[in-house]
Amino acid sequence: MAKKIKGPQMILANNLGDGRVVFFTGNGWSAAPNDGAYAENEAADALLAKANESVADNTVAGCELIGAVVTDGAPYPAHMKHVMQAKGPSVRADLGYQVSTDWEAL
Amino acid sequence: MYAYDDYDHALVKSRVDEFRDQVERRVKGELTEEEFRPLRLMNGLYLQLHAYMLRVAVPYGTVSADQMRRLAHIARRYDKGYGHFTTRQNIQYNWPKLSETPDILEELAEVEMHAIQTSGNCIRNVTTDQFAGATADEVADPRPYAELLRQWSSFHPEFSFLPRKFKFAITAAGTDRAAVKWHDIGLILKTNDAGAIGFEVLVGGGMGRTPVIGKTVREFLPEADFLSYMEAILRVYNEHGRRDNKYKARIKILVEATGTEEFTRQVEEEWAKIKHIPIDVPAEEIARITAFFSPPPLPVLADEDEGVNTLAAKNFIFASWITNNTNPHKVPGHVNVTISLKPHGGIAGDATAEQMDLVAALADEYSHSELRISHEQNLILPHVAKKDLPAIWTDLDEAGLGTANVGLLTDMIVCPGLDYCALANAALSPLRRRSPSALTI
Repeated sequence: MAKKIKGPQMILANNLGDGRVVFFTGNGWSAAPNDGAYAENEAADALLAKANESVADNTVAGCELIGAVVTDGAPYPAHMKHVMQAKGPSVRADLGYQVSTDWEAL
Repeated sequence: MYAYDDYDHALVKSRVDEFRDQVERRVKGELTEEEFRPLRLMNGLYLQLHAYMLRVAVPYGTVSADQMRRLAHIARRYDKGYGHFTTRQNIQYNWPKLSETPDILEELAEVEMHAIQTSGNCIRNVTTDQFAGATADEVADPRPYAELLRQWSSFHPEFSFLPRKFKFAITAAGTDRAAVKWHDIGLILKTNDAGAIGFEVLVGGGMGRTPVIGKTVREFLPEADFLSYMEAILRVYNEHGRRDNKYKARIKILVEATGTEEFTRQVEEEWAKIKHIPIDVPAEEIARITAFFSPPPLPVLADEDEGVNTLAAKNFIFASWITNNTNPHKVPGHVNVTISLKPHGGIAGDATAEQMDLVAALADEYSHSELRISHEQNLILPHVAKKDLPAIWTDLDEAGLGTANVGLLTDMIVCPGLDYCALANAALSPLRRRSPSALTI
């Protein structure tokens, strides 16, 4: 059974076609984590249920609730693994979808 | 090199056609992700952190120049211009699109390659000494036996859903370059007092979160009993290996829990039951497969070369490269060249399409169109004449492949880790990338 996440949560998934990491906005999907919707407790479960409709229509390969930190109303993944997914590989700033050149500053 | 027969071609082609149909059904929504997942994994296709990842099998790490060029083409056409060579002597691509993976598999099939059994709870790519057949310190070339294992284990109906993945390594050399003691089954090719070929059989080695050194269950298994004994080990594991906890499902856990003596007794008991079944292949078939691995005809050359000595005297890096990146060959005047894929500040095991093309060209010119991939994630040009070393190193160095660090700290093995892998807990590549180049020499 998945560990219950405390605090704000957002929803992460992979596009079916290319596996690109996307975040649920409440109405669709965005590669930018700050565009993501977030919620807590039962509201987060409701958000997940809505996101799962995209699984049913084959937009994404799977959805998961992940812990989020919220700054000025903008959510961002809390766990290192999900930060990695949001930013792309730390070792190839020239590649990846969500390329970032500021990995070294982390 | 082993060459496909009609059966092999038909088998791989039918698998490509089958997977193309499965992908189309997934994209149309006729298969859910839950239904599709085991099907894609059987074809080496993972869904990782950022994208799909396709792992291509390179049986026992031997690859032709033409195959390497095809791998480069796939990197360029379907990925982001590079590939990652792995500790199972395979290559994996980190950015393929789902809809294009059947096309990739079709292109691989054209050059007698595939991605079958590079994932899933089955017998994975058999690995061996990267210098197999080209080194003086071995009793025989282990690759024919690795090929025999490949044929026996491919689509083996009983061993397609094992408790967990299963890895073989085989060596025939006095120096274990295949890490056989850290494999589910490790095989050491040896001869007995009568000069007959056989194997020391080790079981239950492994790394990861529970590192264990394999235990010897047979000091000498005659060649004639090779496959039936492997079958017996796998049958015991398949029956008694744990399936309730994936972290305790590898055979190393079973052997540790059962005890080596009792496990061996169970294997021997099982073997006695199945020995009469014609699993083992006749000596003629072993000879037929062995013929594919005949070494190229090499002339005996002088061990010292003036051109090499001259360049080494004035270029310290080249001299270090000769020391670190070449290994003795069984034919005098020749060496095996290890091309480091661990450049300073680079990503261990990665090679660009252009680098792969260059290495293929060098193989055509200097190593009889043959290449090897080592479990240390480097590339090897076997059978190289010493006099050709200055030209080879100069070309490699210009392409960023001349690093003289094989066997040194900066040559460390590095998995993709948290940068790509959904199972990883640590990002290892940045750590190696920051290793000071001063550690090289």
